[in-house]
Amino acid sequence: MAGICCGVVGESGETSSSSIEPTSRPSARRSLDLLPLRYIAADVSVPAPENSRKRQKLDRCVSSARECENAVQSSKSKVAKAVRNRSSKILTLDSTSPTVYEGCLRYGVTSVCGRRRDMEDAVSVRPSFCQENLSQDDKKEFHFFAVFDGHGCSHVATMCKERLHEIVKEEIHKAKENLEWESTMKKCFARMDEEVLRWSQNNETPNCRCELQTPHCDAVGSTAVVAVVTPEKIIVANCGDSRAVLCRNKVAVPLSDDHKPDRPDELLRIQAAGGRVIYWDRPRVLGVLAMSRAIGDNYLKPYVISEPEVTVTERSDKDECLILGSDGLWDTVQNDTACKVVRMCLNAQKPASPVKEMAVDCSDKSCSDASILLTKLALVRQSSDNVSVVVVDLWRDQSMATTKGIN
Amino acid sequence: MLCKQDLETPTIKAMLNTYHASKLSSNQCGSSLVQTIDAPLPLVWSLIRRFEYPQGYKLFVKKCNLLDGDGGIGSVREVMITSGLPAGVSVERLDKLDDDKHVLKFSIIGGDHRLVNYSSTITLHEEEEEYGGKTVAIESYAVDVPAGSSGDDTCSFANTIIACNLRSLAKITEEKVCKVNQIKL
Repeated sequence: MAGICCGVVGESGETSSSSIEPTSRPSARRSLDLLPLRYIAADVSVPAPENSRKRQKLDRCVSSARECENAVQSSKSKVAKAVRNRSSKILTLDSTSPTVYEGCLRYGVTSVCGRRRDMEDAVSVRPSFCQENLSQDDKKEFHFFAVFDGHGCSHVATMCKERLHEIVKEEIHKAKENLEWESTMKKCFARMDEEVLRWSQNNETPNCRCELQTPHCDAVGSTAVVAVVTPEKIIVANCGDSRAVLCRNKVAVPLSDDHKPDRPDELLRIQAAGGRVIYWDRPRVLGVLAMSRAIGDNYLKPYVISEPEVTVTERSDKDECLILGSDGLWDTVQNDTACKVVRMCLNAQKPASPVKEMAVDCSDKSCSDASILLTKLALVRQSSDNVSVVVVDLWRDQSMATTKGIN
Repeated sequence: MLCKQDLETPTIKAMLNTYHASKLSSNQCGSSLVQTIDAPLPLVWSLIRRFEYPQGYKLFVKKCNLLDGDGGIGSVREVMITSGLPAGVSVERLDKLDDDKHVLKFSIIGGDHRLVNYSSTITLHEEEEEYGGKTVAIESYAVDVPAGSSGDDTCSFANTIIACNLRSLAKITEEKVCKVNQIKL
């Protein structure tokens, strides 16, 4: 298993092809399950089957630590079987019939408990969550992707998963033509933090199964790395030590900068606020928290703030993919390595003869494969945390846009 | 030393001298924290004294199991710490429990953290009327300074945790009093 994953990084495309095999059997089932839904989807303009599939996947991951661990184990056992039956992969590809959703970005999500006792990560993917209507023929679709890495408990991350995209949508509509992304995202994060604070103060029923009592909610928080992808731009707002990385022309471009307490400007900000960064097992605010910004964590304010750093990147034809991940991924997988892995997965799915429709449909699977492979790589490299990964294929969407231009 | 009150009252001084004057060895550090609580002393003590149920008022506790004893002197508890902190488990022994003088002492005897030879004393008393007549909790501790760390840093870390717990104790008990008063109206 380790050899398969590590081999991807250093070796040729043939190796990367073999490393994808581990997922062929689950994909076959997924493909079979999807067949009945395909007819229903024909009547629906929104890609509901994808949403429902992703949501089920996430719910399964969050349900319990044991099930997550079992899932990891079962996937490992599946690896052995899949390696022996290479033909099953071919059958899977043959049985897939292409479906094209215009305007929808291809993406893959994986979120696993890993070696931690509890699952406290959350992932939010909202394709086409917001639209900018310029005219009847020209609609700009905005897509929302986010990773939340909770600590203390999971309910702040869960609240962010359920609410932040709605807050962003509201603020975008408020701004109308005067949309200024940095101030808009800062306002959204402040609103999210206020909702968390209000919830902990009102002693409302927690929306998670934790045993903690409500007075403990002051000591619960979450990172938040959010990417809004529009036809022209990629907007990233980050708070904490999760991360967003763009793969552009084979190069890893960080779109966020981890908020670690020993980052020089963060250290100065904390000290100016009267706080202190103590190296305990690593740099921690007051020796307690290993990140300098987070949603929630009221007990550490004003040293730990919820203000995001926002980057706005113009999209380019050279953009290949976007990767969002929690520190469970980035602690063990470098940006460059992650980009190589994803690029190989995306390229491996492109057929030798350019059958356009087939390629478009398969890119969703390749994104899922990429996110799964990154997760396994992190686990193999002894990541000791929850691991959450979102992979967004940017290349194909741009290609479709180009095709429209030609027409 | 952190003090919510600006003035150290005579009773606080007496309590500090009597129960919180532990001697520090050469490589140790320690401190005392004071928390004023606007709630009846018996109510506050009922939360502090439950050695087997620290999550009744302490933050950062995910679960607690008794490894030995039934909650009385000599009992040993295993406290599972919530994620995000530089500790996963803390094993603690109850050294003293005085229900008349409202004194509790415990030591950390194991776990996966850097607090070695940690011992803590928590006392509760009522202030005289002329000083407000409120309940006052004092917690003091002594602990080895870990290798590579400093006394200041170690105290800063411990003070943060203890201050959070004492504030939580005040918040919980004061809220209980509010609820009772609302019912009476």
